[in-house]
Amino acid sequence: MLTTVKDIISENKVNDIKTLELVFKNEEDYKSFQYIPGQFAEISLIGKGECPIGIASSPTEVGSIMFTIKKMGTVTSGFHNCEVGDTVGLRGPCGNGWPIEEMKGKNIVVIGGGFAFSTLRSLIIYILDDKHRKDYKNITVVYGNRDSGEVLYQPDLEDWKKRDDINVILTIDREEEGWTDKVGFVAPVVKEVAPSPENAIAVVCGPPIMIKTTIAVLEELKFKDEQILNSLEMRMKCGIGKCGRCNIGNKFVCVDGPVFSLAELKEMPSEY
Amino acid sequence: MEQKVLKKDQIVKLYNDLVKDYNFYAPIKEKRNIIFGKITNPEDIVLNYYNSKVPPKEILFPQTDILFEYKINGKEIEIEEPKKLDEKNIIFGIRPCDAHSFILLMNFFSQGEFKDEIIMNRRENTTLIGIGCNTPKSTCFCTSIEGNPFQKEDMDIFLVDLQDKYLVEGISDKGKKLIKRLSWLTDATNADIEMAQELGKKAEEAIVTKIDLKNIDKILDPNFDHQIWKEVSEICIGCGTCSFLCPTCTCFDVIDENVPNENRGRRVRIWDTCQSCLYTLHTSGHNPRNSCIERVRNRILHKFCYYPENYGMLGCVGCGRCVQLCPANNDLRAIIEKINKIEQKKEEKVTV
Repeated sequence: MLTTVKDIISENKVNDIKTLELVFKNEEDYKSFQYIPGQFAEISLIGKGECPIGIASSPTEVGSIMFTIKKMGTVTSGFHNCEVGDTVGLRGPCGNGWPIEEMKGKNIVVIGGGFAFSTLRSLIIYILDDKHRKDYKNITVVYGNRDSGEVLYQPDLEDWKKRDDINVILTIDREEEGWTDKVGFVAPVVKEVAPSPENAIAVVCGPPIMIKTTIAVLEELKFKDEQILNSLEMRMKCGIGKCGRCNIGNKFVCVDGPVFSLAELKEMPSEY
Repeated sequence: MEQKVLKKDQIVKLYNDLVKDYNFYAPIKEKRNIIFGKITNPEDIVLNYYNSKVPPKEILFPQTDILFEYKINGKEIEIEEPKKLDEKNIIFGIRPCDAHSFILLMNFFSQGEFKDEIIMNRRENTTLIGIGCNTPKSTCFCTSIEGNPFQKEDMDIFLVDLQDKYLVEGISDKGKKLIKRLSWLTDATNADIEMAQELGKKAEEAIVTKIDLKNIDKILDPNFDHQIWKEVSEICIGCGTCSFLCPTCTCFDVIDENVPNENRGRRVRIWDTCQSCLYTLHTSGHNPRNSCIERVRNRILHKFCYYPENYGMLGCVGCGRCVQLCPANNDLRAIIEKINKIEQKKEEKVTV
């Protein structure tokens, strides 16, 4: 499928994270691209290559699809050099996504770190949508970053902070002048916020070390293995379970994941 | 008579009969190695060979496979899908272990929501005319994987080398049909059939390597963190030969190759290896398989634990290429032996 860059948003102070808004060149492709929050897609720049990126938009945001990309290598640098009107290849959606049906009727605890927050944004926007908000109970968001300049989706966060049906807690690693939210790593902040495991689902997405430390805290808070959902990162090429590299044991993160419950992770080797 | 005879001097005739409709692949000599090549001159076919260095899986799953080609005109991009792959192939002289590897490859490529139609299509269009191994190598261990040097079930047509001729047997419907087309083949005599059986027995006896793989998946599963992985990976240099030349390995990388100084190129998939550090290296710098220990473990577990879990059969065919071609002599047979000893040690502890 081919798409066109509609808009480019710089997300952080150092300008190495950008969100690309894409529109499909072909209306039929758009109709066939049915996704849920937590899924990813393989996006490519012809002549540079392809990479798997989590979908940052929610299916409730009709008309386009968004990807938040950090400038790292050849392909992601290519995306950073994109201009409005450029052509971007797209394959997907890939992966299982957040279990939005099973999460209905529950309190949702969203825990994210760094720019892995993209699929969590998708989930939050989806839940906060008028059509879906009644299906879910309380929403608590803990979102950690290295510093205040790295906090993504500022307009969304401001919107959420104004609402009374979502509790947003931001944290940064070190103190900064003018920062009024929490200071510290995500795991200890979760411990301090101490969300109740009662009828709750915790969704966790971030760098591997954050996932590991946060899981330990959630276990302390008496969350059961089935109540903790993690979205894993892994190097991928094909996104369809064939190129081999994203395996953990006999599972492939790209097709069996990227969302795994802690119960599932405990059955798998800890090689992630 | 079900079984036929093909004289060795009739190979040229066989080739000439089939090459009109098929790409005819057979063992040839290239730079002192045996490989499976597309034959243009039947005189090139090498008939007395053990096995090819590069497994014939490359005919289904080439080292470089074009996914599509592209042209870039400013902001406009033109994508050219590859031509439909309806060319028919014959792989002449494939060995039983490699024919069995095709079963394993297809289990994987045809499984799941996303099927590899490129490879499935090639397999569909490929006919296997295989030959039993009269003289297995010292590194062969197919009999440990419930195979044998005369296993014919995975072929379309099975040949037995009777010195100056081949005994020809149609196995699949595809194979039987093809034999009917080769109406000039003469009937085999009882003596031919008996001789073939005799050779089969001898060949099976010639495989002296016996490794116990009965419980390997059950031993491996709980021993993910065992110290043995440190021991067996110590001499590994991470070159990836074992996986590049493995008939059952399927991993690939996907890259865009641009034609220099032109606005066009192609997206290709190329063989990759789990023995390389780059294979799993995250963009962030994190690497879930950061050293040879994890990478060697992944290869062994994939063949002998993960694959059996997913498909109910071992992910190895016992061809011995990884044993024979490892530049550091890291012998899979010895590794398996060590793994089996883990369990024995445990049992000893229980009995004490």
